[in-house]
Amino acid sequence: MFASSPQRPAVPADLAARLRPVSLARTRTLPLGEPWVGLVPGGGLRRGSTVVVQAPPGLGGLSLALSLLSEASARGHWAAAVGVDDPGVVAIADLGIDLRRVIFVPRPRGAWAESAADLLDGVDLLIVRPPARAAHGTARRLMDRVRERGTVLVALTETDAPWPLPADLSFSVTAAQWRHSTRLDARHLTVRITGRGEAARAREHVVVLPNHRGRAEAS
Amino acid sequence: MERLLAIWIEAFATEESDGSTLRRHVALLDALDALCPFTESIRLDLLVLPLRAPSRFFGGEPAVLDAVGNAVGELGGCDARLGVADGLFCAEMAARRSRVLAPGETAAFRRSLPLGVLSRRDLATTCQRLGLHTLGAFGDLERARVAERFNKHALALHRVARGELGELEGQRDPRLGSRIARLRGEGVRRDEQIGFFGQRGAGDERAEAAVHRVRQRLGTQAVVVASLHGGRSPEDRAVLVPWGSPRAREPDAAPWPGRLPAPSPATTLGHPVTVQLRDAGGEPVVVGSRGLLSGAPSAIVFSNETRRDVVWHAGPWPLVERWWVASRRRAYLQVLLGGGEGLLLAAEAGRWFLVGVYD
Repeated sequence: MFASSPQRPAVPADLAARLRPVSLARTRTLPLGEPWVGLVPGGGLRRGSTVVVQAPPGLGGLSLALSLLSEASARGHWAAAVGVDDPGVVAIADLGIDLRRVIFVPRPRGAWAESAADLLDGVDLLIVRPPARAAHGTARRLMDRVRERGTVLVALTETDAPWPLPADLSFSVTAAQWRHSTRLDARHLTVRITGRGEAARAREHVVVLPNHRGRAEAS
Repeated sequence: MERLLAIWIEAFATEESDGSTLRRHVALLDALDALCPFTESIRLDLLVLPLRAPSRFFGGEPAVLDAVGNAVGELGGCDARLGVADGLFCAEMAARRSRVLAPGETAAFRRSLPLGVLSRRDLATTCQRLGLHTLGAFGDLERARVAERFNKHALALHRVARGELGELEGQRDPRLGSRIARLRGEGVRRDEQIGFFGQRGAGDERAEAAVHRVRQRLGTQAVVVASLHGGRSPEDRAVLVPWGSPRAREPDAAPWPGRLPAPSPATTLGHPVTVQLRDAGGEPVVVGSRGLLSGAPSAIVFSNETRRDVVWHAGPWPLVERWWVASRRRAYLQVLLGGGEGLLLAAEAGRWFLVGVYD
């Protein structure tokens, strides 16, 4: 009754704008945690997009790719990792990933792309680490399917075997510097982030990954 | 050009008004998807799949053809023809003729096709007047001649005839993908995904179905889940078991005395590999009885003889508490290599093992 009353005070325009439902936009994006939420254009991972993480071997590419999963995983989304052959389970849990909802296919033999495609329907985030440079056609088909299914694909590649197609978002590790005392304490990664469209200009950031608790944080 | 297996179903070319053709097409797509997840719907009457990866998997192209033939047969009621050739255009032409072309045969096959297959009557008539009856003869015309005699569409056809383009304009139905998505109702299914507080949600069931597909492809041991339990080193705490095995127990976050502190390596080797550590004089570095290193490590040599400089090390940390349990004397060492890579090594029984990479 009150709702239709002509006495109901008008909602100020700026407030009305803020009250507009945002759920649609939300469900199209998966959340990112620290430090990425402040560094990635839009602050999240758009469903249907492909993210490339590229690093020289042993310099934090895997930790970076996993850290992109942590916030969504902690909020209940399923994730999978194909080709991550010896997952460091303690490190993955320390990053804040909920192990109960992660599917690992550590050794997909020759069928990494097929396994990835099989998993796309079942998870919201999927890390793939191809054993060698992915063929152009394979990458294109996988990305098409990711777009169709609304999953987020994180392709983890080494610098000398890059992903063959442009990604929606890419992270490239350009330097890694460990801080140490009587043990390894934390690693400072220099990461170049490139988006698409308006966000196409590459920006370089230094993040701490992992820190002394095994998590990712801003430097 | 990619080697493709095309499945052509003539009966699907004319669509029934009750939507049954689309439903039968999707049923076929799903059946083929289980064999090769990269099966593509081109038109209602045409599906293709890349042959290279599934052949590796099934053990040869004939095995894939058999599997596809069986999948089509099981659905019943549709008379499908299979063909193999390079590129979408030739694959469809091969399927219409039930031809499986051996690698290298596509060019000759394409040249022999009559001009009528391009579905351009004006072009076919004009060419016939010039005495050109096959794609080969048309393709041999110089590009400039084609440009002056025909319109710009003919130039694309000319490239197809020459084998420079793999796909005919209009060969795909651009609306088919979205029609299939609508039929499956995928626009709405993503939102009610997350189960609350251990309640089994729709997301869990979808995940399980996906796991089932991978296990069919790779075997039941291929899909694993991870959990943590008490233990001192990262590789002792991690439990990786095949999907569906009973969980060891809930993740255990209680501090454990003597545990290696975070950060932990993102890669922990399930089967540690032996490495050698050398000091500046080239002598092997060993852990003495008092838990001290015989010298400062300056190089690490991997089993493939790769040698890398060690620029920093910390440890060794002997895991004393464990010795009486497993009669296993172990000591851990962290090293940094010249390139910035961090490694976790373990010494046991006089040998060094690489157990983790801080990747």
